[in-house]
Amino acid sequence: MDHNFIFAQLFNGLILGSIYVLLSLGLTVIFGTLGVVNFAHGALYMLGAYAAYSVVKLLNFHFVVALLICPIIIGFIGILLEKFLISKLYKLPHFYNLLLTFGIMFFIQDGIKIIYGPEGVPFNLPQFLGGAANLGFMVIPEYRLFIILITGFLALGVWLFIEKTKLGAVIRAGTDDSETADALGTNISRVFTLVFGMGAALSGLAGVIAAPIQDVGPLMGMNYLTESFVVVIVGGMGSIKGSILAGLIVGELVTVGIMFWPPMSTTLIYIFMAVVLIIRPRGLMGRAAFFE
Amino acid sequence: MKIDSKNSFWFILLAALLLGVLPFITPYKALASQMLIFAIFAMGYDIVFGYTGLLSFGHAAYFGLGAYGTGLSLIHLSAPTLVALLIGIVSSVLIAFPIGYLSIRRRGIYFAMTTMAFAQMLYFIAFKWRSLTGGDDGLHGVPRPHLGPINLGSELTLYYFILVFFILSVFLGIRIIHSPFGKTLECLRENEDRARSIGFSPTRFKLMSFVISAFFAGLAGGLYALLQNFVPLYSLNLDTSGDIVLMALIGGMGTLYGPIMGAMALVLLKDLLTTSTNIWPLFLGLLFVISVMTFRKGVFKELKERFLSF
Repeated sequence: MDHNFIFAQLFNGLILGSIYVLLSLGLTVIFGTLGVVNFAHGALYMLGAYAAYSVVKLLNFHFVVALLICPIIIGFIGILLEKFLISKLYKLPHFYNLLLTFGIMFFIQDGIKIIYGPEGVPFNLPQFLGGAANLGFMVIPEYRLFIILITGFLALGVWLFIEKTKLGAVIRAGTDDSETADALGTNISRVFTLVFGMGAALSGLAGVIAAPIQDVGPLMGMNYLTESFVVVIVGGMGSIKGSILAGLIVGELVTVGIMFWPPMSTTLIYIFMAVVLIIRPRGLMGRAAFFE
Repeated sequence: MKIDSKNSFWFILLAALLLGVLPFITPYKALASQMLIFAIFAMGYDIVFGYTGLLSFGHAAYFGLGAYGTGLSLIHLSAPTLVALLIGIVSSVLIAFPIGYLSIRRRGIYFAMTTMAFAQMLYFIAFKWRSLTGGDDGLHGVPRPHLGPINLGSELTLYYFILVFFILSVFLGIRIIHSPFGKTLECLRENEDRARSIGFSPTRFKLMSFVISAFFAGLAGGLYALLQNFVPLYSLNLDTSGDIVLMALIGGMGTLYGPIMGAMALVLLKDLLTTSTNIWPLFLGLLFVISVMTFRKGVFKELKERFLSF
């Protein structure tokens, strides 16, 4: 194996890792704040892709319009879900919300199947990103470069928002002690609704971005769902920095795994997770006993 | 399920009658067998979910291991039926030990996520290992050897064969739940710290309950392989893990008979709906949402509290 090949594989790992990070951002924000394991995440991601399809293919808008509008639509759906269903279960053991969102996942998936058909829909690369970029050691499609950049930008943005802004501080206060935060005069249930909406919007955005490079179909979210759960578990549930790190590691692991033993590369992810759980049950950067 | 002996006598008589004629009521006989198989699975699952309070979200793994273990030993080893079932159960239990050991280190949703991830791992192994498992085509050609003089080839005979295992499982389940061991599990569910402080090791008891439920799942899986003459890959996937949680939840977790009835009702409902429409997943999702939002104690338990008092 020459240098360029190894570089290229590592870079492919980075691309895959970015997709994992992108996918797990919405999940991490929602878990890290509300303690909700959002199984509907994959379905919201799929809804994002279908929303992009509707905006670009059926309504003939530009891809950039889809990038801006679709996350808002999915975020709004998330807000409705939180307000009418998920928020009612916060006081109960956390697994009830896991089961609730699991049900919502089936409902959304089958609903889309009924509306758009079970076959999946075609979605092409947007033309302005359709070319290839030469990086010196390899040539990659521009769209992949775009994914890496937008993921980096989004991850940084979310982290800054949660850690450095006033609203972020309120969110963190709500996570640590929602009753006190409520007593101090913030309407914490509205903040939680907003956070869920934001997480849903991030899932939807991931769907829009992934639409051109994935097969857009009713079950597209299901395929990535468990892998993004692994990323979140390995990173330490709720830690944004942790899931970025874990996403990149898992991405590299899969691409390096393909070089050596192709059939086992997906299984490798789960073996890696088992090892992390043995050595460090809380995950790479997780807080101990967080929403446990 | 004991206590008032007069009521429970009638209850048991009614249940026995119903189970005796069940294959003649259902649209086809194999459906009745399938109802019993999932009832065994759900009852065993209730020991870990309802009684110990651990939401395992990867129990398909043990069902699938039982099914593949039994199926493979019937095909390749030409094992007698009972030995094959035993091999299925042993495979489930042997894998449940390490997975359970690693998973019970965390509580609540962490436990759920970890068990799910391990189940996915097994799913992917079965998916990729085509030469052994048949991959996504499933494992075909599982035979049903005669059991001594009994020909299990007939669907009706197989139903009564499964019924025997069902009855044994229910007795075993009731024994486990009403033993000091079962009470300790409930104690762990209610207050783990207190259980530890009076000298019970939560780790040991949780692991035991996890493995016991894997035992029942493995038995159910083995019977399923016999019934279908085939092991589908979906016996290992997330949908199956979810189905079993819903069965226990809808029936009323922590009651044993609730999950049994929940499983039978759900299997019947699924069959009726999938033959007439193609919106089963939509309906399943709705059922999940409704049961989590409104009757977390389970339909049957709510009914029992209102109309029966035994």
